[in-house]
Amino acid sequence: MAIDPQPEAVTAEGPGADFPSAPAGVSAEGHGPWYLAFKRFTRNRVAVAFLGLFILIVVFVLAAPLWADHVAHTGPNKTHTLEKLHVGDEVREVVTPEGRPIGPQWFEADGKFFLGADSRLGRDEMVRLMYGGRTSLLVGIGSALITTAMAILLGLLSGYFRGWVDTVIARTLDVLWSLPVFLVGLALGVALAVGGLKIGPLEIAGGSLWIPVIVISVFTVPYIARPIRGEVLALSEKEFVEAAIAQGAGPLRVMFSEILPNLASTVIVFFTLTIANNMLFEAGLSFLGAGVQPPNSSWGTMISIGEELLTTQPLLAIIPGVMILLTVLSLNIVGDGLRDALDPRSKIRLEAHAGMVEPKGSSV
Amino acid sequence: MKKLYLIATVIGLAALSSVALVACGGSDNSSSSGSSGNSGDGKEGGILNATYASFPDYMDPALSYTAEGWTAMGEVYIPLLTYKHAEGAEGSIVEPGLAKEMPKISNGGKTYTLFLRPGLKYSDGTPVKASDVPYSIKRMIALSSGGSPFYYKIVGAEKYAETKKGDIPGIKTNDKTGEVSFTLEKPSGTFTNELALMFAAPVPTGTPIEDESANPPPGTGPYTITKSQPGKGWEYARNPYWAKDNSKAMPDYPTGIIDGAKITVIRNPQSQVNDIEQGKYDWMQNPPPADRYTEVKEKYEGSQFKVQSTISTYYFWMNTTKPPFNDVKVRQAVNYAVDPAALERIYSGQIKGTHQILPPGMPGYEKFDLYPHSMAKAKEMLKEANPSDLDITVWTDTESPNNEAGEYYEGVLKEMGFNTKLKIINADNYFTVIGNQTTPDLDTGWSDWFEDYPHPNDFFQPLLSGESILPTNNGNFANIDEPALNKEIADLGEEQLGPEQESAYSALDKKYMELAPWAPYGTRTLSTFVSSDINLENIIYNPTFFEYLTSFEFNE
Repeated sequence: MAIDPQPEAVTAEGPGADFPSAPAGVSAEGHGPWYLAFKRFTRNRVAVAFLGLFILIVVFVLAAPLWADHVAHTGPNKTHTLEKLHVGDEVREVVTPEGRPIGPQWFEADGKFFLGADSRLGRDEMVRLMYGGRTSLLVGIGSALITTAMAILLGLLSGYFRGWVDTVIARTLDVLWSLPVFLVGLALGVALAVGGLKIGPLEIAGGSLWIPVIVISVFTVPYIARPIRGEVLALSEKEFVEAAIAQGAGPLRVMFSEILPNLASTVIVFFTLTIANNMLFEAGLSFLGAGVQPPNSSWGTMISIGEELLTTQPLLAIIPGVMILLTVLSLNIVGDGLRDALDPRSKIRLEAHAGMVEPKGSSV
Repeated sequence: MKKLYLIATVIGLAALSSVALVACGGSDNSSSSGSSGNSGDGKEGGILNATYASFPDYMDPALSYTAEGWTAMGEVYIPLLTYKHAEGAEGSIVEPGLAKEMPKISNGGKTYTLFLRPGLKYSDGTPVKASDVPYSIKRMIALSSGGSPFYYKIVGAEKYAETKKGDIPGIKTNDKTGEVSFTLEKPSGTFTNELALMFAAPVPTGTPIEDESANPPPGTGPYTITKSQPGKGWEYARNPYWAKDNSKAMPDYPTGIIDGAKITVIRNPQSQVNDIEQGKYDWMQNPPPADRYTEVKEKYEGSQFKVQSTISTYYFWMNTTKPPFNDVKVRQAVNYAVDPAALERIYSGQIKGTHQILPPGMPGYEKFDLYPHSMAKAKEMLKEANPSDLDITVWTDTESPNNEAGEYYEGVLKEMGFNTKLKIINADNYFTVIGNQTTPDLDTGWSDWFEDYPHPNDFFQPLLSGESILPTNNGNFANIDEPALNKEIADLGEEQLGPEQESAYSALDKKYMELAPWAPYGTRTLSTFVSSDINLENIIYNPTFFEYLTSFEFNE
């Protein structure tokens, strides 16, 4: 995960540019900002197309049990090393005595081994791809949820209270930011995958999916919390905040009823991009054996298994790789589209993966 | 990412304290080149340009405990006794090395007396003295070598290991006559094998008592290591004192055909295979990666590639002290469920299925299979046994395909009706983790064992005797402790191996398999892969020392 700590230069814009411009043909009058954003988003054909692709991917992985039960008639972790496949009059070995897994059968065997077998264990690659996608998306979305929730909380506290609260939180985030995230994630992932995690009453078994989810979400918090903090710093000086305070609203009320709604667009954009980012993180960790633990599959572990057979069965590594590529790409493009739609001033420039950048000079 | 099986296996097992592993070898045709190591049809001389996938654990005869190290130094450091330069069963015969003849055993099997051959010299010209023998053994013990427990049976050696001071009273020498005598605590049937290990090979008195991997001490063999760069490679040249002195003193020991060798460490086995195919290198010590194995075998078998069997057993252990595996019925059921034929495929054909403790090639091996594969029978037996606890944790390491073997095994247990959890531990510390009795949930898991020397005791004593159950660095993963069988192992261990003892070991194999502390599934095969410039026929693959450097020869 390459992270560019240098904030991008923000082009100076005149005060006139501060007004969200309504898309051509849509009257800004009488419509809420969300409606306008929706309109703007739907005009972005590329983003809509990739949103469609992402939905397709989600449907694809959700259909895993259907495919497993009704087409492939096997589970994701079921081994078929010694089984033979009857295709017409031909008998094919799922794994040859030399340990070569069968290649894609497409519909020749009624959908069994559609993409071939995954390794010498003879598991159905298609079923594993679908279940692995569930895992990958689950880890991506789950950790993005946790990351975002923690980031909002820390960003609000730090940006609103300032003073020593800000110092403690911001410096802690700086420390977290300065760690070589992937290496620490790898070390933690390996250690926790073996021993599990025990904090007070909280107990997580070694092979649990929660381990990669927690490791990933903790390490990605700074990338969202810092920009949010910046925005809260700016927002808390706005007149409507002063007005709320003047009306006697306490800090909690100001933070959650006044400031938080104004962060919504930023949070939505960040959330989308963080899913993509975290999926890549998960794939990397799993590839190196520190993420999702066998026998469960994720796209990262599937690439790792496929890598060993790269010269004879390259598809085994390429297919999950392409799935990751498509998912991350679609999330990134949708995220960009959302940013353009929700925040036409584009104060926050971010590209998942390439770096999440704190806005600079965000005096609104 | 791909590492070598043997490396990790060997390092892992070497962590076991008492009597650990190594070795491989043994082959079906034992008579091919005989023990002379003389040249075949090829030409004399030449420098062998070879590659290893990793630098040996140590380039010091006292410390090395891996296949790589033993192959690398086998023709540099000759012990008092040595293995016949031959393959298979013939290669398991212990012969005199630096000693004139086999030891005279007296004092009820407790005293071994040998005489050094006169006129021997190290590669730096220093004459070999009888007193170098106790010095070398003391040096090895003082360095806490993984091999030192083999020699604790010498009177006073274990005490020396604690104090590291004074002498070992059980070793007496006379520099004038070259006499060396060892007195043991009790009779031993394996001591000649242990004297033939490189741990006991003499080095000059005064060799620093530290790891000399970067500057290997002078040896007595036909080749000497002229340069060693840990992590990168090393070089051999002929021992300048071999032709003049040692070869005359040891006329039966092969002199070697090539003039020297240069070894380069290439960590990527894929590129090693390419380099051999293109003739950039002449020999790769490690097997080709699983993905290329079949291709290489199909293309080059017979001309440049040869499958070599090893004396090893791959198995799943079951902890006999805890439910559900404290019930022999459950363990037998698992034996019915595990199918060696499936595991042969998981290992890409690089194991041969067996279902017993002793592997082929080991004296005492007699083929049997008490548990022909039947999942139906396994399920039925498990139902009958009706264990109180069905939640188990299955352990394996990250080394492919051991991890896949573990996944397969977990699937089998799940199918039988267990609730399983799989733990895959990094291969570098797998054996440390499962050898520690405080590790929770040690129910069942994967392991393997390669012989240290071709003696069946090396499979029973360290792996199945109750005496070998230790709180840490445990080697008896099944924790099986049968007093009657413990005694049988101990008694047999004191006797010299003969036909009677071999059949006793074979019976012991069966008795243990009836108790089913393990579900064994195969014995490993390795391979020799050389370029077209090398005469494959002439290479001798010994069960303990693998490819002998003296047997390499360039084609005309």
